[in-house]
Parts: sequence; C-alpha cells; structure tokens
Amino acid sequence: MSELRIPTLNRVLLSGRLTRDPELKYTAGGIAVCNFSLAVNRKYKDQGGQWRDEATFINVVTWHKAAETVNKFLRKGSPVIIEGRLESRSWETDAGQKRTAIEVRADQVRFLEKSESAPDATAPDEPAA
Amino acid sequence: MPELRLAELNRVYMIGRLTKDPEVRQTTNGTPVANFTIALNRRYKNASGEWKDETTFVGVVVWQKLAELCKQYLTKGRAVLVEGKLQSHSWETEDGQKRSVLEVRADRVEFLDREGSRATGERGSGHAAAEGHAAAAEGQAAIDAQEAAASPAPGDQQMDDDLPF
Repeated sequence: MSELRIPTLNRVLLSGRLTRDPELKYTAGGIAVCNFSLAVNRKYKDQGGQWRDEATFINVVTWHKAAETVNKFLRKGSPVIIEGRLESRSWETDAGQKRTAIEVRADQVRFLEKSESAPDATAPDEPAA
Repeated sequence: MPELRLAELNRVYMIGRLTKDPEVRQTTNGTPVANFTIALNRRYKNASGEWKDETTFVGVVVWQKLAELCKQYLTKGRAVLVEGKLQSHSWETEDGQKRSVLEVRADRVEFLDREGSRATGERGSGHAAAEGHAAAAEGQAAIDAQEAAASPAPGDQQMDDDLPF
C-alpha cells in the first residue's frame, strides 16, 4: 500500500448576520479586499432547561470581485451563508507586540435577503497580494 | 408562504499536525478539557507561478472523554482530522485588558497516523494506533451524548493573541 501524504483540508461553513457595514479597500496593486464581521448564533438549552442564545463574532475577508459585490449589496444586519477557509493574520500593536488572529477567508458568500436582486459573491481562490 | 428563519450553520473541517503536546486539565467540577494547536498547510502558486507554502495555526479545544483520548494518543507532530465549530474564547489579561481569540471546539478528532509512520521515541507498539482510532470514535459518541450538559469553556487559558477591535 502506498503511503498517504497529509491532505489539505481547511473548510468552514457559517451562517450569520453582519455586525456592521463591510469595509472595502484596495491593495497597492489595485486588488479589492473587503472585511466584515459576522455574528453567528447558536441556540442551546442550559442546564436548567432554558433556551439561550450565544453569538460568536467572526471576522471574514473576501477578495477580488467578490469583495466589491459584498460591499455593494451587504449592510449591517444582512444575513449570509459563507464558505471558506481559516487564515491567520498577524500585525503589530502600537506598543510593538506581535499579535495573531484567525479569520475566515470566504470564497463563497451567499446573500439570503429576499429583496436582494444581487448575485452571490464568489471569490477566485488566489493568494492574497 | 411563511418567512424563513436563518439556518444555524457553524462547521469546520480541517486536517493538520499538532504543534506541541496537548495540554489537558480539569475544570473545577472535574470535566476534562484538552487544548492543542494544529498547523494547517496550504500550497499555492503565487502571481509569478512559483509554488509557495502557507501555514495557518488554529487552536482546538476538546471536552470530556475525547479530551482524555487526545491526551492519551496525541503528541507533537501527530496528524489529526478535526471537525467542530468556531467559537470565541475570551479572557482578561493581568492588567485587566479584555482579549478574545477564535478557536475550534472539536466534537470529532480522528487520529490519522498509522502504526508504521510513528516517530521514534513515542509510544512503541503499533497496536495503540488502531486502538486509539476506535477509542476516538467511542469518545465522539460520548461527547455527542454529553454535549447538552457541557459547561462553557472557562477562560483561564494563557494566550498572547489579541483581536484588533
């Protein structure tokens, strides 16, 4: 039997609502990048049998054409389903400390609002510039 | 037609290797909880056509029986398949700052190393691998059954990450 190599698997599926309007920027090379934050809710029963809501806030980034589409059609409160992968992002604080956080790089953003005539946003899977 | 409600969807699948041995402890009421970080590799072609490697480090938290199995069978460098959901983990630093970081709460951990591929200096017999695999499945069932009663993650984990908002 041949040996297996470790496969690439990094897949995330989320549904939620935007916690604020998306932010669109362009890299120096002119590539569109859009950041937004998603509130992902979960209902669960606590130990006393009461239904509770729990929200997880997740930062999402989209690139290219999808970034522009997201920025055009989504606003704070918009419901979406996204598909993508986990990515680390590193930065330095003002005090010079290194920080890392994970966020979701979305390659599919499905718009759920009925009134929207918008197409779903799909980002090509290219490396970040 | 009635209005639709937003489907709850929060699912993560990933395969990676442990960056160090899992840390296992117990909550005050005796529930075992394991923490580890896995490295996810991705290979891609950059704009000039060269192959590049990119590594993402993701923190994983595991509860109950599955936590004990992870402690028993996983060490630095082991390959795992992790299935779970994203959750945020918040805590306060010593100087009172609020910090929060995303992690994956796993409800399934598959041990992927075969017996022959074990690094030297680790558990010798290949038998343990197969046993670990079966045990992991059993652990998953235990987790499913106990999930409803599971307490939320306590916030005493040491991490120096921060989110920029």
